[in-house]
Amino acid sequence: MSTAVPAAEPSDEWLAAQAAAGDASAFEVIVGRYQQRVFRLACRLTSETDAPDVLQETFLLVYRHLPSFRGESRFSTWLYRIANNAALMHRRARARRPAESLEVFLPRFDAQGMLAATPAELQVAACAEELLDRAFLAEKAREVLARLPDLYRDAFVLRDLEEMSTADVARALGVEPATVRQRVHRARLMMRGYLSDLAGVKP
Amino acid sequence: MKAITCASGVELLADYLEGALSADVSAALEAHVAGCPRCVAFVASYRDTPRILREATAATLPAHVEASLKAFLRDRTTAFKFS
Repeated sequence: MSTAVPAAEPSDEWLAAQAAAGDASAFEVIVGRYQQRVFRLACRLTSETDAPDVLQETFLLVYRHLPSFRGESRFSTWLYRIANNAALMHRRARARRPAESLEVFLPRFDAQGMLAATPAELQVAACAEELLDRAFLAEKAREVLARLPDLYRDAFVLRDLEEMSTADVARALGVEPATVRQRVHRARLMMRGYLSDLAGVKP
Repeated sequence: MKAITCASGVELLADYLEGALSADVSAALEAHVAGCPRCVAFVASYRDTPRILREATAATLPAHVEASLKAFLRDRTTAFKFS
Protein backbone atom coordinates (compact mmCIF):
# COMPACT_ATOMS: atom_id res chain seq x y z
CA MET A 1 0.00 0.00 0.00
CA SER A 2 1.39 3.33 -0.93
CA THR A 3 1.29 6.15 1.55
CA ALA A 4 0.51 9.58 0.24
CA VAL A 5 3.32 11.84 1.29
CA PRO A 6 2.63 15.49 0.60
CA ALA A 7 5.27 16.87 -1.70
CA ALA A 8 7.52 19.40 -0.02
CA GLU A 9 7.01 23.00 -1.07
CA PRO A 10 9.50 23.75 -3.83
CA SER A 11 12.16 26.22 -2.72
CA ASP A 12 12.28 29.73 -4.16
CA GLU A 13 15.69 28.99 -5.64
CA TRP A 14 14.42 25.87 -7.43
CA LEU A 15 11.41 27.80 -8.78
CA ALA A 16 13.68 30.62 -9.93
CA ALA A 17 15.83 28.17 -11.88
CA GLN A 18 12.74 26.57 -13.45
CA ALA A 19 11.27 29.96 -14.34
CA ALA A 20 14.57 31.12 -15.83
CA ALA A 21 14.50 28.00 -18.01
CA GLY A 22 11.08 29.01 -19.34
CA ASP A 23 8.69 27.22 -16.98
CA ALA A 24 5.70 29.59 -16.89
CA SER A 25 4.01 27.91 -13.96
CA ALA A 26 7.15 28.30 -11.81
CA PHE A 27 7.10 32.06 -12.36
CA GLU A 28 3.41 32.14 -11.47
CA VAL A 29 4.15 30.36 -8.20
CA ILE A 30 6.87 32.90 -7.41
CA VAL A 31 4.46 35.77 -8.08
CA GLY A 32 1.77 34.13 -5.97
CA ARG A 33 4.23 33.58 -3.16
CA TYR A 34 5.57 37.15 -3.05
CA GLN A 35 2.89 39.50 -4.39
CA GLN A 36 1.40 40.23 -0.97
CA ARG A 37 4.79 40.88 0.60
CA VAL A 38 6.00 43.06 -2.27
CA PHE A 39 2.77 45.08 -2.19
CA ARG A 40 3.07 45.64 1.56
CA LEU A 41 6.71 46.64 1.16
CA ALA A 42 5.85 48.99 -1.71
CA CYS A 43 3.16 50.68 0.42
CA ARG A 44 5.70 51.22 3.16
CA LEU A 45 8.42 52.52 0.85
CA THR A 46 6.20 54.69 -1.35
CA SER A 47 2.46 55.09 -0.86
CA GLU A 48 -0.72 53.13 -1.45
CA THR A 49 -1.17 55.16 -4.63
CA ASP A 50 2.23 54.21 -6.04
CA ALA A 51 2.41 50.67 -4.66
CA PRO A 52 0.50 48.98 -7.55
CA ASP A 53 3.00 50.38 -10.08
CA VAL A 54 5.96 49.39 -7.94
CA LEU A 55 4.47 45.90 -7.62
CA GLN A 56 4.17 45.53 -11.40
CA GLU A 57 7.62 46.89 -12.10
CA THR A 58 9.19 44.66 -9.47
CA PHE A 59 7.83 41.45 -10.97
CA LEU A 60 8.62 42.52 -14.51
CA LEU A 61 12.22 43.19 -13.44
CA VAL A 62 12.33 39.89 -11.56
CA TYR A 63 11.14 38.12 -14.70
CA ARG A 64 13.69 39.83 -16.92
CA HIS A 65 16.58 39.30 -14.54
CA LEU A 66 15.81 35.74 -13.49
CA PRO A 67 18.50 34.32 -15.81
CA SER A 68 21.09 36.42 -13.94
CA PHE A 69 20.03 35.18 -10.48
CA ARG A 70 23.01 33.10 -9.40
CA GLY A 71 21.91 32.06 -5.97
CA GLU A 72 24.67 34.04 -4.26
CA SER A 73 22.09 35.44 -1.86
CA ARG A 74 18.71 34.02 -0.95
CA PHE A 75 16.10 34.54 -3.64
CA SER A 76 13.95 36.60 -1.26
CA THR A 77 16.88 38.97 -0.56
CA TRP A 78 17.50 39.35 -4.29
CA LEU A 79 13.79 40.06 -4.90
CA TYR A 80 13.63 42.58 -2.06
CA ARG A 81 16.61 44.40 -3.52
CA ILE A 82 14.78 44.70 -6.84
CA ALA A 83 11.60 45.88 -5.11
CA ASN A 84 13.57 48.39 -3.09
CA ASN A 85 15.16 49.82 -6.24
CA ALA A 86 11.80 49.97 -8.02
CA ALA A 87 10.39 51.92 -5.07
CA LEU A 88 13.40 54.23 -5.10
CA MET A 89 12.86 55.02 -8.79
CA HIS A 90 9.25 55.92 -8.02
CA ARG A 91 10.21 58.21 -5.19
CA ARG A 92 12.74 59.97 -7.41
CA ALA A 93 10.16 60.40 -10.15
CA ARG A 94 7.82 62.16 -7.76
CA ALA A 95 8.55 65.79 -7.08
CA ARG A 96 8.58 65.56 -3.33
CA ARG A 97 8.42 68.58 -1.14
CA PRO A 98 11.29 68.61 1.35
CA ALA A 99 10.34 66.46 4.30
CA GLU A 100 9.97 68.24 7.59
CA SER A 101 12.77 67.07 9.87
CA LEU A 102 12.03 64.38 12.42
CA GLU A 103 15.02 65.37 14.58
CA VAL A 104 12.61 67.01 16.99
CA PHE A 105 11.44 63.53 18.01
CA LEU A 106 14.87 62.33 19.14
CA PRO A 107 15.20 61.76 22.89
CA ARG A 108 16.37 64.70 25.00
CA PHE A 109 19.06 64.53 27.69
CA ASP A 110 20.15 66.89 30.45
CA ALA A 111 23.70 68.22 30.88
CA GLN A 112 24.70 65.04 32.75
CA GLY A 113 23.45 62.83 29.93
CA MET A 114 20.32 61.71 31.80
CA LEU A 115 17.07 61.25 29.88
CA ALA A 116 15.08 64.45 30.40
CA ALA A 117 11.58 62.93 30.51
CA THR A 118 10.16 60.99 33.45
CA PRO A 119 9.80 57.18 33.31
CA ALA A 120 6.02 57.53 32.89
CA GLU A 121 6.50 59.92 29.98
CA LEU A 122 9.18 57.72 28.41
CA GLN A 123 6.83 54.75 28.51
CA VAL A 124 4.02 56.44 26.60
CA ALA A 125 5.20 55.53 23.07
CA ALA A 126 4.68 51.86 23.94
CA CYS A 127 1.03 52.61 24.72
CA ALA A 128 0.27 54.36 21.41
CA GLU A 129 -2.06 51.57 20.32
CA GLU A 130 -4.16 51.77 23.48
CA LEU A 131 -4.25 55.56 23.46
CA LEU A 132 -4.98 56.18 19.80
CA ASP A 133 -7.71 55.25 17.36
CA ARG A 134 -6.54 52.42 15.10
CA ALA A 135 -7.35 54.13 11.79
CA PHE A 136 -5.78 57.37 12.98
CA LEU A 137 -2.61 55.55 14.00
CA ALA A 138 -2.45 53.75 10.64
CA GLU A 139 -2.79 57.04 8.76
CA LYS A 140 -0.16 58.78 10.88
CA ALA A 141 2.21 55.81 10.65
CA ARG A 142 2.11 55.96 6.85
CA GLU A 143 2.65 59.71 6.93
CA VAL A 144 5.64 59.55 9.22
CA LEU A 145 7.27 56.73 7.25
CA ALA A 146 7.10 58.97 4.19
CA ARG A 147 8.80 61.72 6.17
CA LEU A 148 11.79 59.59 7.16
CA PRO A 149 14.93 60.33 5.15
CA ASP A 150 15.30 57.68 2.43
CA LEU A 151 18.39 56.03 3.90
CA TYR A 152 16.71 55.53 7.26
CA ARG A 153 13.36 54.47 5.83
CA ASP A 154 14.81 51.75 3.59
CA ALA A 155 16.80 50.21 6.44
CA PHE A 156 13.96 50.55 8.98
CA VAL A 157 11.30 49.15 6.64
CA LEU A 158 13.34 46.12 5.61
CA ARG A 159 14.74 45.35 9.06
CA ASP A 160 11.92 46.23 11.43
CA LEU A 161 8.76 46.17 9.35
CA GLU A 162 9.58 43.34 6.93
CA GLU A 163 11.61 41.61 9.67
CA MET A 164 14.58 40.71 7.50
CA SER A 165 17.84 39.93 9.27
CA THR A 166 20.42 42.71 9.48
CA ALA A 167 22.75 40.64 7.28
CA ASP A 168 20.08 40.30 4.58
CA VAL A 169 19.20 44.01 4.75
CA ALA A 170 22.89 44.82 4.38
CA ARG A 171 23.03 42.64 1.24
CA ALA A 172 19.82 44.11 -0.16
CA LEU A 173 21.03 47.69 0.34
CA GLY A 174 24.68 47.07 -0.45
CA VAL A 175 26.00 48.43 2.86
CA GLU A 176 27.75 47.03 5.94
CA PRO A 177 25.67 45.46 8.74
CA ALA A 178 26.96 48.12 11.15
CA THR A 179 25.57 50.80 8.83
CA VAL A 180 22.18 49.05 8.80
CA ARG A 181 22.13 48.93 12.61
CA GLN A 182 23.05 52.62 12.84
CA ARG A 183 20.34 53.69 10.35
CA VAL A 184 17.70 51.44 11.90
CA HIS A 185 18.57 52.79 15.34
CA ARG A 186 18.22 56.39 14.22
CA ALA A 187 14.88 55.61 12.59
CA ARG A 188 13.63 53.79 15.70
CA LEU A 189 14.51 56.79 17.85
CA MET A 190 12.58 59.14 15.60
CA MET A 191 9.61 56.76 15.25
CA ARG A 192 9.51 56.19 18.98
CA GLY A 193 9.52 59.92 19.67
CA TYR A 194 6.86 60.46 17.04
CA LEU A 195 4.57 57.85 18.65
CA SER A 196 5.11 59.51 21.99
CA ASP A 197 4.24 62.92 20.58
CA LEU A 198 1.18 61.47 18.85
CA ALA A 199 0.04 60.04 22.17
CA GLY A 200 0.35 63.48 23.73
CA VAL A 201 3.76 63.46 25.41
CA LYS A 202 6.84 65.29 24.14
CA PRO A 203 9.59 62.71 23.65
CA MET B 1 35.85 52.09 30.57
CA LYS B 2 33.89 55.33 30.84
CA ALA B 3 30.70 55.08 32.89
CA ILE B 4 27.51 54.65 30.87
CA THR B 5 24.95 57.44 30.97
CA CYS B 6 21.42 57.40 29.54
CA ALA B 7 22.75 59.30 26.50
CA SER B 8 25.66 56.96 25.75
CA GLY B 9 23.54 53.93 26.61
CA VAL B 10 20.78 54.87 24.17
CA GLU B 11 23.34 54.99 21.37
CA LEU B 12 24.32 51.38 22.11
CA LEU B 13 20.79 49.94 22.09
CA ALA B 14 20.56 48.62 18.53
CA ASP B 15 23.98 46.98 18.76
CA TYR B 16 23.09 45.57 22.18
CA LEU B 17 19.82 44.03 20.99
CA GLU B 18 21.63 42.31 18.11
CA GLY B 19 24.45 41.01 20.27
CA ALA B 20 26.99 43.20 18.48
CA LEU B 21 28.57 44.61 21.66
CA SER B 22 31.52 43.16 23.54
CA ALA B 23 30.67 41.34 26.75
CA ASP B 24 32.06 44.07 29.01
CA VAL B 25 30.18 46.88 27.26
CA SER B 26 26.97 44.81 27.33
CA ALA B 27 27.42 44.19 31.04
CA ALA B 28 28.04 47.89 31.70
CA LEU B 29 24.92 48.84 29.75
CA GLU B 30 22.82 46.26 31.61
CA ALA B 31 24.15 47.56 34.93
CA HIS B 32 23.19 51.13 34.02
CA VAL B 33 19.68 50.17 32.86
CA ALA B 34 19.09 48.03 35.96
CA GLY B 35 19.58 51.11 38.13
CA CYS B 36 17.82 53.63 35.89
CA PRO B 37 13.99 53.69 35.77
CA ARG B 38 14.13 56.17 32.89
CA CYS B 39 16.16 53.78 30.76
CA VAL B 40 13.90 50.86 31.69
CA ALA B 41 10.93 52.84 30.34
CA PHE B 42 12.88 54.06 27.34
CA VAL B 43 14.07 50.58 26.37
CA ALA B 44 10.53 49.20 26.66
CA SER B 45 9.14 51.82 24.30
CA TYR B 46 12.15 51.52 21.96
CA ARG B 47 11.58 47.77 21.67
CA ASP B 48 7.83 48.16 21.07
CA THR B 49 8.17 50.81 18.38
CA PRO B 50 8.92 48.47 15.42
CA ARG B 51 5.94 46.23 16.21
CA ILE B 52 3.55 49.17 16.54
CA LEU B 53 4.66 50.61 13.19
CA ARG B 54 4.62 47.16 11.60
CA GLU B 55 1.03 46.49 12.62
CA ALA B 56 -0.12 49.99 11.73
CA THR B 57 1.31 49.79 8.19
CA ALA B 58 0.42 46.21 7.26
CA ALA B 59 -1.34 46.73 3.92
CA THR B 60 -3.24 43.90 2.23
CA LEU B 61 -3.09 43.41 -1.52
CA PRO B 62 -6.52 44.41 -2.91
CA ALA B 63 -8.11 41.97 -5.40
CA HIS B 64 -8.20 44.57 -8.17
CA VAL B 65 -4.47 45.29 -7.78
CA GLU B 66 -3.73 41.57 -7.96
CA ALA B 67 -5.85 41.30 -11.12
CA SER B 68 -4.02 44.27 -12.67
CA LEU B 69 -0.68 42.66 -11.86
CA LYS B 70 -1.70 39.44 -13.61
CA ALA B 71 -2.95 41.32 -16.66
CA PHE B 72 0.22 43.40 -16.76
CA LEU B 73 2.50 40.34 -16.59
CA ARG B 74 0.40 38.48 -19.15
CA ASP B 75 0.94 41.37 -21.57
CA ARG B 76 4.62 41.88 -20.87
CA THR B 77 6.01 38.37 -20.48
CA THR B 78 5.88 35.32 -22.67
CA ALA B 79 6.06 32.94 -19.77
CA PHE B 80 3.07 34.20 -17.88
CA LYS B 81 -0.06 32.22 -18.62
CA PHE B 82 -2.41 33.36 -15.87
CA SER B 83 -5.98 32.95 -16.96
